[in-house]
Amino acid sequence: MSGQVHETRILLRHAEDPALATIEGYRSYGGYETFQKALKSMEPDEIVEVLEESGLRGRGGAGFSMGKKVSFLPRGDQDKYVCCNADESEPGAFKDRELMQRNPHQLIEGIAIASYAAGAGHAFIFIRGEYDRQADILDRAVEEAYEAGFLGEDILGSGYSLDLVVHRGAGAYICGEETALLDALEGKRGNPRLKPPFPAVQGLYGGPTLINNVETLSNVSHIVANGAEWFRSFGTEQSPGTKVVSISGGVRRPGNYEVELGISLRDLIFGLAGGPLDGHDVKAFYPGGSSSPVLTPAELDLPYSFEAMAEAGSMLGSGSIIVADDSVSIPHMALRTARFYHHESCGKCTPCREGTNWTVKMLERVVRGEATPMELDIITSVQQNIIGHCLCVLGDSMAMPVSAMVAKFRDEFEQVIAEAALARIPTTNGDHGGNGGNGIDGGTGTSDLNLTDLLERERLQGRPIPVSEQESPDAG
Amino acid sequence: MPAEKLNRIILTVDGREIEADEGTMLVDAARLGDVEIPVFCYEPKLGDPVGACRMCLVEIEGIPKLQTACSTPVRDGMVVHTQTAQVKEAQEAVVEFLLVNHPLDCPVCDKGGECPLQDISMGWGPDRNRMVDQKRHFEKPVPLSPLVAIDRERCILCYRCVRFSQEVSEDSQLQLLERGDSTYVGTFDDRPYIAPFQGNITELCPVGALTSYTYRFQARPWDIEQGGSVCTLCPSQCNVSFTVRDEQVKRVLARDNPEVDDGWLCDKGRYGFQAMYSADRVLNPVRFEDGQPVPAGWGEAVELAADGLLRAGSKTAVLVGEASNEEGYLLQRMIRRALGSSDIDSRRGPGFGAADALALADPAISARVVDIDHADLVLVVGTDPIHSAPSFDLRIRKAVRRHGTALAVATDRPTALDGGASEVERFDPGTASAWLSSIADEVAAGSGDGIAGLVNRSGHTVIVWGERIGRGDDGPAALAALARLAEAAGIAAEQESGLIGIPETANGRGLREVGCLPDAGPGFTPLDPGRDTDAIRAGLESGEIESIVLFGIDPIRDLPDTEGWRRALEAADHVVCFSMEANASTEFADVLFPLESHAEKDATVTHPEGRLQRVRPSAARPGDIRPGWMVLAELSALLGHETGIGSAPDALAAVADAVPFYEGLDDAVIGGRGVRWQDRPAATRLGDPTPDPLTPDSGNEETVTSTPPNPSTGEPGGPLSSTQPAGFDSEEGPTVGRDGSGSAPGGVVPPEDVEPEPSSTTTGALTLGTYRDLWADATTDLSPALRFLSPAQRLEISSADARRLELKTGDEVSVSSGSHFVNARVAIRTALPEGTCFLIEGTISDNANLFSNGRPAAVEIGPPRIELDLVTAGGATPDSGEAGDTSEGGE
Repeated sequence: MSGQVHETRILLRHAEDPALATIEGYRSYGGYETFQKALKSMEPDEIVEVLEESGLRGRGGAGFSMGKKVSFLPRGDQDKYVCCNADESEPGAFKDRELMQRNPHQLIEGIAIASYAAGAGHAFIFIRGEYDRQADILDRAVEEAYEAGFLGEDILGSGYSLDLVVHRGAGAYICGEETALLDALEGKRGNPRLKPPFPAVQGLYGGPTLINNVETLSNVSHIVANGAEWFRSFGTEQSPGTKVVSISGGVRRPGNYEVELGISLRDLIFGLAGGPLDGHDVKAFYPGGSSSPVLTPAELDLPYSFEAMAEAGSMLGSGSIIVADDSVSIPHMALRTARFYHHESCGKCTPCREGTNWTVKMLERVVRGEATPMELDIITSVQQNIIGHCLCVLGDSMAMPVSAMVAKFRDEFEQVIAEAALARIPTTNGDHGGNGGNGIDGGTGTSDLNLTDLLERERLQGRPIPVSEQESPDAG
Repeated sequence: MPAEKLNRIILTVDGREIEADEGTMLVDAARLGDVEIPVFCYEPKLGDPVGACRMCLVEIEGIPKLQTACSTPVRDGMVVHTQTAQVKEAQEAVVEFLLVNHPLDCPVCDKGGECPLQDISMGWGPDRNRMVDQKRHFEKPVPLSPLVAIDRERCILCYRCVRFSQEVSEDSQLQLLERGDSTYVGTFDDRPYIAPFQGNITELCPVGALTSYTYRFQARPWDIEQGGSVCTLCPSQCNVSFTVRDEQVKRVLARDNPEVDDGWLCDKGRYGFQAMYSADRVLNPVRFEDGQPVPAGWGEAVELAADGLLRAGSKTAVLVGEASNEEGYLLQRMIRRALGSSDIDSRRGPGFGAADALALADPAISARVVDIDHADLVLVVGTDPIHSAPSFDLRIRKAVRRHGTALAVATDRPTALDGGASEVERFDPGTASAWLSSIADEVAAGSGDGIAGLVNRSGHTVIVWGERIGRGDDGPAALAALARLAEAAGIAAEQESGLIGIPETANGRGLREVGCLPDAGPGFTPLDPGRDTDAIRAGLESGEIESIVLFGIDPIRDLPDTEGWRRALEAADHVVCFSMEANASTEFADVLFPLESHAEKDATVTHPEGRLQRVRPSAARPGDIRPGWMVLAELSALLGHETGIGSAPDALAAVADAVPFYEGLDDAVIGGRGVRWQDRPAATRLGDPTPDPLTPDSGNEETVTSTPPNPSTGEPGGPLSSTQPAGFDSEEGPTVGRDGSGSAPGGVVPPEDVEPEPSSTTTGALTLGTYRDLWADATTDLSPALRFLSPAQRLEISSADARRLELKTGDEVSVSSGSHFVNARVAIRTALPEGTCFLIEGTISDNANLFSNGRPAAVEIGPPRIELDLVTAGGATPDSGEAGDTSEGGE
């Protein structure tokens, strides 16, 4: 089966040609023709209409209709802005990097068309500081575009002017959140803003602002060139188009694959990425970056689309699949995930700041064997207390996968707790068994107590083990 | 459209129908229906909500996710639930999260008992703790500044202090450092937070993270009382609440009065209470035997004072500095009716007269403080509010930041507001009139450029002007030009346009209105002019005045011509001082009476906007201090004029009777928030003469008769303002039109000052301006917490002049004019125009008031000159070819 799965390349078309990164190469494949056509023969509103009809959904995570976003921008004379979110920082996501590296002009053309449609005179690409090479490539490409007259004053005699600035971030995941990105661009501490007002109404420097992901904007020229119908011929009804999917983790051929939305997860993970390494099985996977609730092999045959992932209780997010094979300890993966979000929390709102911190501390105790199964209920409850209560989605981004992991792999959590605890219990000689304290890999130690004995012993010691723990809500 | 603004809507919160203005934030609207939604970060005074703490999550029908009530504007028909299981869960979650890292050290925390976190935990939090992990730790408490301690463990990161620093005081010093749960409040590079409003953050802090060093471990909330009063340390007259324990003030809090102070206090108002308990405070009457102070009984002291004053009779003068309306009224009544003298002044330097003051008091051209908030344009002329009336600085910043008000600044010295101004213009010290009249002309001509253009384009215009521009020879012309500008700008026609004058003393406006002017009695009733401040000094020196009463003023420090005042007080036969503290002038006293502080006084003061406010006794008077009105009434009686005033309300009633436009004012009318006299019917009586007789009781009580001719000016009573002795010199140093005629009244020029120093004529002569620094006063000096702010003399100099003179910031120099000099450190200010420099008045040493005497150098070359002599080793020399005259050791 794996051999038959093919990519559908629109954004990554000609990506193998290194010349594509130059303006000559890009133009040799017809680049910038759409922008010229748009400037000459299309009204901004027409473009907005095409984008809306195409059903293009944001590729950065939220999946909001791109055309609608543009249409929210007020008409009129005020200063408007377009920001391209190239702060791709989600663990597991590396598609924008490839899009910018291989085809920077596709992005620039998309930004130019979107800016023209939105009536914006200033555009920014906010690229994460670690994408140094890609930022250099963009800098060069922007320069080329200026030289060729596709950016700057009175573009191609149309009377439309656009300035595009590549801005390098300083290394905070939170700046990928659109309003934090705006604050960072303005030179402030990158903290999310309260919404409303939404950026479309009051964004960068207080002006209406369109913010879209690299991949979303890269789609623009293709849609405007070929029409909404053409775009809708790819993908599903609610998720039209193709998607560049980053697949990583325990697979044979990790990498970016551009596919039509709606392709099955199995085709993606097994067909394109080659499935798990020899001797391993898929145990779980994040379908949409580290902030999406994990799915299990039972869900492998679901179509990969915004709607199907939402129905399965997860999300397509940025379209980054991270596969955990059976060598991965889920509690450790949960801790790893929580640590990332704890580290990246900006600290502005209470539930995220304190919730990520507390969750990490609890999960650390879980893997050290210092927790009790009751702690798993507290972990779950804390995640519930975070979800929906935060200023932005960063808190939810930890809480959702962590609570999914606890729900779906509760047995494994309990086992890790028990085994790590066992390793800490003194043997008959009074020695500490196993690797004690930080027993990440949970060596089983030298105790001869089995798990049942251990649970019983905990109970006798008076450490509370709630009833629910025994009939664990096993989802896996 | 105002109609839209006031759209009333009905919403439902927890089943209660609540009527509110559309757009009100839900938290505030709910309160109207007695529904309390808990908040930590929400504080409308700090600007737009930030929604950071998430404490105010509520359920709004039709919106699936919980919403923050602090940031949700209400709409008609909105249905809100604050008590559902979902909301409860969220509230408990947020409190639980806040307590994850908050130490439970409430028993030893100063906030304990008045702590929003305690209250909200109690009211909305979960009843058990599930957190068993380590909390975060910081070194604590550490000084955030010399005034404020920070306990970062207690901080719940509500952002309030940081928002205050960034969006209210705009000093931007407080920042959040690090991120996530490692976030902490601090300053760049751990530098101390030095800003004049920092104390406000201790009040904003909803936990015990920010505490004032002055109040740490001083009291528990259950053994204190709060007493509302008004701060009279500057003309802002912010409303305050004194925290009193054991009859002593322990803390000063803001008493939010949006019409006066917006609920902010400057640090002088907040921490200056310490001066009340300073060892230098005068606690009982003192008489002097051979120059040595001897405690005296009240009866003895009053008799002693009366004897001396009676001896001098009409050769008595009164200077009033910091005083209430009642005290000022009684002083002028005493000197006029008991002694037959009109030599009384409350201005630091004469200049404009009572007629000018009366013209500018016209309600049609008076602005209210709140008019600043929504003005199209605020024009600041001749004052830097951060020094003269700090809360105006915040008010103007607010208007600019939140309401898009345009700001224009026209001053001699660069101000703290320049950064936010659309237009900044500079005039040379002492030349405000030239600038004002040219602007008035431009505005009248419909100019579209610069400040005139701004005025012409703006509807509501508020002009905040410093009364200093009325000082000196330039003063009357400046005020006339100001009135012309107001007319050209059509200010009288606009309801919300107007002028606000910032006096030089806290109750300057009130003192003028109750008659502490040489040429006017209560209510600006015109009188033949007596001596003004300068003429009184000259009269003392020449012996034409034999006795002086100094009430709340230290002329040697506060007034121009330090040396002159020293000689004047030396020469005086009898000096009666009323002062809170011993100072340079009280050394010359024959009798010294203690004064009450604003925490002890029962009196009224008048705000620059015309608002009568009550200063109310909150703490006990220490030692043997008596109310000012009582002492003055007694003294007056001994001098032969029985006032019949036997209580504080009597005194206020007498003031209200004497000042026609104060008619009918009493404690109840003034109330807790004060009342503008312009807003009362009696305002129409502005200009009516006082019913008070203004001559000695034995004289003709029906008509206002001349005071004895003024020998020192030689001028008979004539037109009121223009005959003011034009003598104030020159620290405002005019650079144009000076012809040497401006020497001190009476021509008293100390001989040693007449001759300019020969070598100094060309060595970098600059025009010297001076200003009174916020911290250059006795309150700062006597408050241990504030003392570090007491300024040492510094010479502000333009970068061009500094380059020319090869000076750099921090260099020590001596600044001299004639034979006088002060030492100062150089501070280069790029915003200063070339050729001008500034010194501070009222510093403990090297007071710039030293220069403002007979203006010796000016006589010869016009503007007062200074020469800069480097005294630092390795210092530079002027480049004008006279390198030889600045030796390394200095002179």
